[in-house]
Formats: sequence, structure tokens, C-alpha cells
Amino acid sequence: MTVAAGLGYALIALGPALSIFAGVVARKPFLVLTLLTSTLFWLISLIILSGIWRVFLPITSGAWWPYVILILTSVAFQEGIRLVFWRLYKKMEEMLDSFADRISKPRLCLTDKMLISLAGGLGHGVAHAVFFCLSLLTPAFGRATFYVERCSRMPFFLISAVIALGFLVIHTFSMIVAFNGYDERKRSDQVFAPVVHLIASVMTLMNLAPDGCVIGTPLLCVMSAVTLQYCWRMVWQRLSEHQHRQFNS
Amino acid sequence: MADAAAAAPVPGEAASSSATVLDSLGEDITRIVTPVSTCMLLVVLLVSLLSSPSSPSPLSAAFTAAGGGGTGTGNGAGGDDITTALVTAVTFVVAVTAATFLLALLFYLRCTPCLRAYLGFSSLSVLLLLGGHVALLLLSRLRFPLDAVSFALLLPNAAAALALAALSPASVPIALHQAALVAIAVLTAFWFTLLPEWTTWALLVAMAAYDVAAVLLPGGPLRVLLELAIERNEEIPALVYEARPVDPRHGQNWRLWRDRQSGGELDANSTVEVIGEMLGTNLGANSAGNLGISATRSDEQVNLAADARNLRPGETSVANLSSDSSSSSAPVEVLPALPETRVSVAEMRVPLIQPQPVRSRDEDDDEDGIGLSSSGAIKLGLGDFIFYSVLVGRAAMYDYMTVYACYLAIIAGLGITLLLLAFYRKALPALPVSIALGVVFYVLTRTLLEAFLMQCSTNLLMF
Repeated sequence: MTVAAGLGYALIALGPALSIFAGVVARKPFLVLTLLTSTLFWLISLIILSGIWRVFLPITSGAWWPYVILILTSVAFQEGIRLVFWRLYKKMEEMLDSFADRISKPRLCLTDKMLISLAGGLGHGVAHAVFFCLSLLTPAFGRATFYVERCSRMPFFLISAVIALGFLVIHTFSMIVAFNGYDERKRSDQVFAPVVHLIASVMTLMNLAPDGCVIGTPLLCVMSAVTLQYCWRMVWQRLSEHQHRQFNS
Repeated sequence: MADAAAAAPVPGEAASSSATVLDSLGEDITRIVTPVSTCMLLVVLLVSLLSSPSSPSPLSAAFTAAGGGGTGTGNGAGGDDITTALVTAVTFVVAVTAATFLLALLFYLRCTPCLRAYLGFSSLSVLLLLGGHVALLLLSRLRFPLDAVSFALLLPNAAAALALAALSPASVPIALHQAALVAIAVLTAFWFTLLPEWTTWALLVAMAAYDVAAVLLPGGPLRVLLELAIERNEEIPALVYEARPVDPRHGQNWRLWRDRQSGGELDANSTVEVIGEMLGTNLGANSAGNLGISATRSDEQVNLAADARNLRPGETSVANLSSDSSSSSAPVEVLPALPETRVSVAEMRVPLIQPQPVRSRDEDDDEDGIGLSSSGAIKLGLGDFIFYSVLVGRAAMYDYMTVYACYLAIIAGLGITLLLLAFYRKALPALPVSIALGVVFYVLTRTLLEAFLMQCSTNLLMF
């Protein structure tokens, strides 16, 4: 539906990511590189998943259980890969710290580490939004629009943009929570990210039912709000503890 | 109570604001990634506006089918098969090799005016002919009202101005110089995407293979050229994109090939050096410990730098370093001897020579002549820009999903090349890793990823 609509859908999906990028990530070049690396990493995870699933596709049967298996395996794989991502990050952090020691600059402080995990999460969210939503938006720049039968109330592009937005928020902020959990070895934070990811993905299964997206999509937005709130609380707590400790020491 | 009052401020506001390593690290890489990305973006835009897809992707085919039956178009024209593609690619590589040897010969004969004239001629012809062609296509596509007389007036003027800007960096603002180089790269890359599909892919792979051979084999033309340049301490006249602004005090940007010095401190701003350091330490390579970097700074910071450099690393004050790095908009920094060369056909492709360490006290402030002068950060030859953009432009002709995947692959390849550079510390070509990754990702995306993502997204299933 014209360039304006196409751009609108793209901005719905990626607008917050763009503002986070412009406001936070673009100021430190290292975070830009982290973002690019993270996006590449999650793209590779998607490619591996599609490689595994290629033989079983296309799923032509109308049954819903193949999709359940698809979602469950994909989420499990991605959460497993997150641990690998964490290991890579730890290695890089060590190198950065040793380098900082060499040139006598202060080591990475807490906000730095959180910024890196934000960039990493943003990379995950951007990879999701770009590959699931943005790459399908090309026809939206043309003259017409498209509806799917199962969700006939809104154009397909709008639904996928909103879902992509929800997942972008979830991925970005659950990465911060997850990294914090691995760092502090807090169980609740460590399981938060996989649980939220799983619940959100299972919610999209509701879209398989006719008009299921009317229920599924608002619930997804609720999940992203929950993630945001949890992350906010955790960061606030951690920063004020850190501040307190610094002041007292 | 002081405690409560002090605890009142918002956590994070009163956080220590001492600059950490994170603030400035990676800036030089970002400064080369940005123009590469811009060039690729412009080529993708041009391709989407001006070209018709060679073979429609399943996505657009699905939409047209759902919309009530479009006719499927055939795949590929008759003349585009593998044998013609290979023949064309091999011919091109042979032509490039011959041209590079000719370039080396001219350089050997110290015929610099010939080289400069050739440079000027080719950049002017690219801007005039290809630029005019693209402009005409755009005008007709966008239905922009412009009469022939104005066009005939505007085009040669713009072409001449940009050619001048591209060739003499010292006489124009740095942004214009960089924009002119990117414009030349965009136009050439767009022209390459007009070739048939198999030919383009064969050409890319052939150029990547040629690059490896030309730089690493002992008889390779690039290596010969490079060694000549080192011997004579001269710059090869060519079109190079330089990531840092050229210091306007210096007339030319000479790059020197020198041995690494011992001693010296590490430069916090140079990511490549950081990588080299980290890799060196990790592998326990002792020789890598002497990175021998000294940063040359522009005038107003010479004193500050001299003070900072006089101290041993352990004593260097943080404030000095951070103010150095943050306040300067054009710090002229020098990287270790990490050469990466890439010469291309027709002066577009240029030796990617990374600047050498220069003793800071010796800095010669005079303009002209072959001097020990400063040089910028990472330089990338225009040929690299062109072939990266050709790959992405060709991916754009299929679908945008391949564009995103290939973009990430190419940037990753660029990063890996810089890593290898920091590790091996010898001349390395810039093209092969990125092109290889790009082609691999293109194939993987087209065969595997697309089907998977389409299946999920059209059912509104996401994870």
C-alpha cells in the first residue's frame, strides 16, 4: 500500500530499536560492533535451525502439532545458543579487562557490562525483526495489501510488525536479565529469559486458530511489558546496590 | 545524615564518569564499516528502483499467485549459462592481471604523471558516463521533470567536481572527498550488477581467487607493486578510501613501510591494535608484545601527547588519554605494520596499506615531498567497496532477506580480515573472506532459511 505504508510497518517493527540505537548504541562504537556481531550470531542460529528443519518442510498438513514441535525445538536451540553467547562474551570481557590493565585505564564498570548486554540483546531482537518481518515487507511497498485467512481483521503486514515489535522488546531486555543472572548466579534471572521466550513463542501458536491473533497478539504485548518491568526492576536494584557499595567502600 | 543524603541521588547519575576502555574502542573499525554500509545501501536502493528482478523469489511469487495468478517468468535468459559465465570471468581476471602488471611497470619507471592522468581519466569517465546513464534511468523511472539543456549543464559540472574531489583530498573538505569516492564506487557497482546473474557470481568468485593469488603468491602483481612501493617509500597513486580525515597540514598522505619499533605504548583507540595485543597475549607470542605504536597527534595535542608518552604505561594518567581521544576530531593515528593490500584494475582498487608507526618526535610538518608524515587509520581500496556492493546488489535482485544476510556476512568478513591482519601481520587481501562468506550466506539463505522463515511467518508463528 505505497511507500508510506511500507515504511510505517517497518517503523512499527523497528522504531524502538532505532531509537535505542541512536540514543545509546551509536555513541560508543564498540557497542555498534557488538550489535553487528550479535545479529550475525543469531542469524547463524536461525540458519542452523532452518537447516535442521529443511527436510520436514513444507508442512502441508493442517494439524497444529508439527508447529508445536517446531516452536519448541527452535526455542530450546536458541536458549542453548544463548549460553554459548555468554561464554563468548566472558572471553571478550577478560580480554578487554586485561587490555585495560595494560594501558592503565579503568576496567569495565557495571554500566558498561549492562550496555554490552543491551547491545547483544538488541542484536537478537533486530535479527528476529529483520528476518521474520522486514524481509517480508517488500510487497507492502507496492500498491495493494495482503490479508491472511486466519487473521482477517488486520493486514498481514501489520500483525507481523506488531508481533516483531513485541519480540524485539522481549529479546532485548531478557538478554540483559539473562546476562545479569549468569553474572550473579541468580537462579531467578537465569530462568527468566528461557521461560519468557517459551511463553511468548507458544502464544504465537494461538495465531494458528482462526482469529486467534486477536487474543494472541495483545497477550504478547503483555509479555513484553512484563519483561520490561522485570528488567527495569532488576537493573534499578543492581545499580543502587552497586552505588551503595561503592559509596560505602 | 550524609549517608541518606548521598544515597538519595538516582543510582547511575552519580556513577563514576571516568572514561573506560569501552568509550573509544572500535572507533576505527566503525569508521570503515559506515562508508561500506552506505555504499551497499545506495547500491541496493538503486537496484531496487531501477532493475527488474531476474528470477522472482518464492515470496513475491506466492503473493502474485495468491493475488489471482500472475504468470511465472522463466528463469534466466538464454545466454546466461555457466560456461559463458566462466569464460567472461576468466577473461576479466586476465585483463585485470594485465592491467595491474602495466600499473606496476609504470610505477617502476617512475612515470607518476601517467598514473595520475589515468586515475583522473577513469574516475571522470565513470562519473560522466555511468553517472549520466544512472541519472537518465532515475529521471525516467521517477518521472522527474528535467530538460535536456539543464541536464547537459549539470552533469559535466557535477562529474568534474566529484572527480576533482576524489583525486585531490587536500583541496576539498574531507566529507566531499569521501562522498566522491563512495559515488564512484556506487556507480561502478551498479554497472556490474547489470551483468547476467551467473556471470556476476562467477566474476565475484574469480576476483576473490585472483586477489588471494595476486597478494600472497611471490610473483603476484600486487605483491610486486607493494614491494616497489616499500622500497622507494612512495605512495602508489590510486583511489583509496581513508577512514580518518586527512590532516590538512600535510599535502599528501604517504604511507611508509617500516619495521616495527620496539617499545612504545599501546594506543587505546586503535581496535586493530587491541586485537593484535589480545591475540598475541593469548597465544603467548612474545614478539607480539612489542607493538611499537606511537601515535602522532595534530599540533594542538602534541604537547599533551608528548607528556603522556613520556610516562611509562603504568603512570600514564587516565585523564590525558581520555581527553586525547575524546577531544580530538581528527587525531592522526598510526597503526602497526599490518599491511593489507588489494590492488585493483584501473586505479579504483588500491593497495589497502595500513599506515606504519612513525616516531612521534620525528614528525615532519612540512607539506610536500616524500616525508615522514602521519597517516590515517584504516584505508580500504575502492575495489573492495565495489565488489562488496556488487554482491549485495545481486542479492537484492532476488529478495531482501538475502540482502540482510549477505550484508552481515560481508561485515563479518571484513572484521575477520582485520583480525587475521592483526594476527599474521603481513600482506593480506581484503576480498576473499568477505566474498566467500557472502556467497555461502546467500546460498544458505536462498535454499534453507527462506523456506523456513516463510513457513513460520505466513502462519504468524514466531519465536
